[in-house]
Amino acid sequence: MKKNYISMLLFFSLILLVACGGNEESNGSKDSSGEGEAGEVQISFSWWGDTGRHDKYNEIIDLFEAENPNIKVDRQFGGWDDYWDRLTTQVSGGNAPDVVSMHQFYVSDYARRGALHNLNEFVESGELDLSDFPESAIDSGKIDDNIYMVAKGITMPGFVYNTAVFDELGVEYPDFNWTWDNFIDKANELKEAMGDDGWAIGDLSGGQINDLRYYARQNGQDVFTEDGKLGFDAQVLTDWWEMWDQLRQDDVIPDAATSNEYEGLPLEANMFATKKVALLKLPVNQMYLYEEQMGEGEIHAVRHPHIENGGTGEYVEGAYLSITEASQHKEEAAKFIEFFTTNEEAVKIFKTEQGPPAGTEASNLVIEELTPPEQRAVEFIQETVEISEPAPYAPEGINQIETLYADNAEAIAFGQKTVEQAVEDFMNEAKSIWPE
Amino acid sequence: MEISTKHNHIVRVSKKRQKISKVFIHGFVILFGIVMLYPLLWMVASSFKNPSEIFSSVSFYPSKWTIDNYVQGWAGVSGYTFDSFFVNTLIIVTLAIIGNIIACSMAAYAFAKLEFKFKSVMFALMLLTLMLPFHVTVIPQYIMFNYLDWINTYYPLILPKFFATEGFFVFLMVQFMKGIPNELVEAAEIDGCGRIKTYWYLILPLSVPALVTTMIFTFIWTWNDFFGQLLYISDLKLFTVALGLRMFLDSAGESAWGPMFAMSTLSLIPLFIVFVFFQRYLIEGITTGGLKG
Amino acid sequence: MGKFKSFWKDNWIGYLFLAPWMIGLVTLTAIPMGASLYFSFTNYDMFSAPTWIGLDNYTQLFSDEKWLESVRVTLIYVLIGVPLQLTFALFIATLLNKGISGLSLYRAIYYVPSLFGGSVAIAILWRQIFGGNGLINNLLSNIGIEGTNWISNPNTALYTLIVLMIWQFGASMVIFLAGLKQVPIELYESAKMDGASPWKQFSKITLPLITPVVFFNLVMGIIGAFQAFTPAYIVSGGTGGPLNSTLFYTLYLYQKGFTQFSMGYASAMAWFLLLAIAIATAIIFATSKKWVYYQG
Repeated sequence: MKKNYISMLLFFSLILLVACGGNEESNGSKDSSGEGEAGEVQISFSWWGDTGRHDKYNEIIDLFEAENPNIKVDRQFGGWDDYWDRLTTQVSGGNAPDVVSMHQFYVSDYARRGALHNLNEFVESGELDLSDFPESAIDSGKIDDNIYMVAKGITMPGFVYNTAVFDELGVEYPDFNWTWDNFIDKANELKEAMGDDGWAIGDLSGGQINDLRYYARQNGQDVFTEDGKLGFDAQVLTDWWEMWDQLRQDDVIPDAATSNEYEGLPLEANMFATKKVALLKLPVNQMYLYEEQMGEGEIHAVRHPHIENGGTGEYVEGAYLSITEASQHKEEAAKFIEFFTTNEEAVKIFKTEQGPPAGTEASNLVIEELTPPEQRAVEFIQETVEISEPAPYAPEGINQIETLYADNAEAIAFGQKTVEQAVEDFMNEAKSIWPE
Repeated sequence: MEISTKHNHIVRVSKKRQKISKVFIHGFVILFGIVMLYPLLWMVASSFKNPSEIFSSVSFYPSKWTIDNYVQGWAGVSGYTFDSFFVNTLIIVTLAIIGNIIACSMAAYAFAKLEFKFKSVMFALMLLTLMLPFHVTVIPQYIMFNYLDWINTYYPLILPKFFATEGFFVFLMVQFMKGIPNELVEAAEIDGCGRIKTYWYLILPLSVPALVTTMIFTFIWTWNDFFGQLLYISDLKLFTVALGLRMFLDSAGESAWGPMFAMSTLSLIPLFIVFVFFQRYLIEGITTGGLKG
Repeated sequence: MGKFKSFWKDNWIGYLFLAPWMIGLVTLTAIPMGASLYFSFTNYDMFSAPTWIGLDNYTQLFSDEKWLESVRVTLIYVLIGVPLQLTFALFIATLLNKGISGLSLYRAIYYVPSLFGGSVAIAILWRQIFGGNGLINNLLSNIGIEGTNWISNPNTALYTLIVLMIWQFGASMVIFLAGLKQVPIELYESAKMDGASPWKQFSKITLPLITPVVFFNLVMGIIGAFQAFTPAYIVSGGTGGPLNSTLFYTLYLYQKGFTQFSMGYASAMAWFLLLAIAIATAIIFATSKKWVYYQG
């Protein structure tokens, strides 16, 4: 008993020893991270991504610091989910980073609640020079007439397929310009060739409301209007869900349980990478990841299916940079964004990390250094950006609408509701979120 | 005489029975252990696989062993490697353990063995603090620590432990200290021990099982807790193992699963060692029974 | 003044030992808790200042179908999961408290699942075990049973999470072990002399003497299970699907607060939960006088 007691005591004193050293260390690092020498400004920049991206961005920041010795950049990064949890906390906690990475999915939540700085003044004064950006790329960062974010990379979603998979199945590749009718025919053809081994494509009826958005826009409507109301009618939603329901009943797309099982799985294990489905809707800048992962064949992309003589679904998407309203150093922050998106060296490091750079010159700079799948992605983006049309930004409450949409789509898939019933439920509840 | 043979008979029978039951227990325990170990084995096996094989092959066993994942994983990100993450985490964990053991045992002693007014009110308050989901206190807490200029330091992760904010451990120790016989406490006081001495020389040594439990849990939970670390630490210099592991994952892009599994495997080793080393105090430690005599 | 002095004289030693906790309560815990209570009466989107709306958040709860669903899901999880996990942990702890060789290794092995905590690896692993082509169904098909897709079947998804909870029984096991440690060995020895069966030894000696620990594990198990978040978050990818069948209370709270920016509503949810847990705990405490024995 005595021995035990002594060894415990020894252990604790050891801990205490380590502890004292530790305390000093955390104190020390705090001092160095505060405001440094006179005249030196510290800004912070946060982004989401994987380790490869962290390395690239850190390299770009090092370049920026070398060129602007009076500005130090504090770097904050993490995966997608962590990024948004932390950013929300930081912004509401009054400690927002100066430069933040933004995404269409969240920008209206932040901008409409006054968390982001209106960049018009910097653009007008030329401090943020966007003259090389195509109009559509600038527009994609605007809410109403105000620029809230600058594209670091732009991208477009396409329907992608692996040539090896199609060859093996003996199915012809889809046409670049295809209609929903072509799509349904092709899907049935694929299913026939695949038999019990797989399905044509994953279920797009729920999940992201962006999928519906293309369809609504092709019908001359949209998910929401400029003035923040529901932008589509019951007919569009009924047609959309009925199309997918039919495909599901014909076993052309997976049943609800299978879709659910694969939901949220990493890229390496998802249905497309494991060849359970032959088509995938994907932001094309990620094509190369699948080509690397699947190891055989090439990944090619075709346009989103459309409606013959209908409207255009396409609109520019991408990854963006914004300055927060709480930033104390907005000018330095603008300087950083300018450097990040236009500096030759920086752009060469960036390549197509989050889609090709938005600026024409910058995008030409990187295109030669790309791998074939990356080049195909850039070509696809250049082609579809041309036909794309502006799209309004979501009003507050889009997240609730999205959940409502996903819940009802899932209820159809599991056979809990008829399409008719789900549409009715959706329409009724949507009205309480976005009053007419 | 008669009594004694009867007794011997019982002992013999129960010995035989014990043997059978021991075999049975062993069999069960081993079988069950395999079920428990499956995830660990799977992860270790995956950590030696080529990343593309982790998800594509159903085989448990790597077709080709590689240590690339370990090399690549240990390299960390942008020049900061896992050795600094390990050291940082050890610092946080050690301080957290000290804080929890001191502060929680003090509070527990008060609740278990001392009499004072409003004791039950205080105790109820302590339990209440455990009942609120942390998601709604995250933001006010962040505002507070930001106001104190503690962001990007270890203070938010360590200091609260020195103020017994983890009621779980206070409650745990209360339950154990209540089991310490009052006669012992009284005897110590008659021998001239004040309350403080009683706490130090009697209560603490007798609470070793609870203290060790607290230590093990604090170690493991602090080691694994990433949400607090995510919010309060952004400087790479201060990164912890949990943050390092999260860095390999990006649900919107490509995750480095191979290195993730490799580093996860390594990060389990300290936890495992601590557990194996200290759990014997739960078994062979000081028994109150012996003292009670 | 005099009153205060005599109060101090009688109680100072208790409050001295309680001081660190009290300082922590006032400075670190009470402020955020108070703030969240205030938020629960407001419309608070986290970026702009909260606006007072009285009890609206609370009254809204009862017409929110998803909230009702999350209450249902959580209650099942608590009522089935906690007793199962505790029984299991106690059973294993008793087994491992016997003097058989190699015990420390077994104990360590059994703790392994709990070491994983909320690791993302669980999400992948769980699909490999309970998925349509997973381990379980492979085993079942050997004996001619065709299993369902356990994870994505709305009727079974929650139960896979209960299995997960039971599988991670290590923490309760350790606490039971520590409790068993306090049972004086002499009691067993004299019981053996009297020829008491193992079951009798367990029910007459072990169980009564470890009731303080059972009580602790029960209370903490309930508090923990009501607030369970990570299992559903990682296994369902944050959705609570399929068909909201794993929409834990705190998962819905997180969705409301962090993805839909309704922190006021989320705070009201949190305080409602606190009230519910407090009542449940109070009931257990009230009954504890009947079944919890302290040696002291």
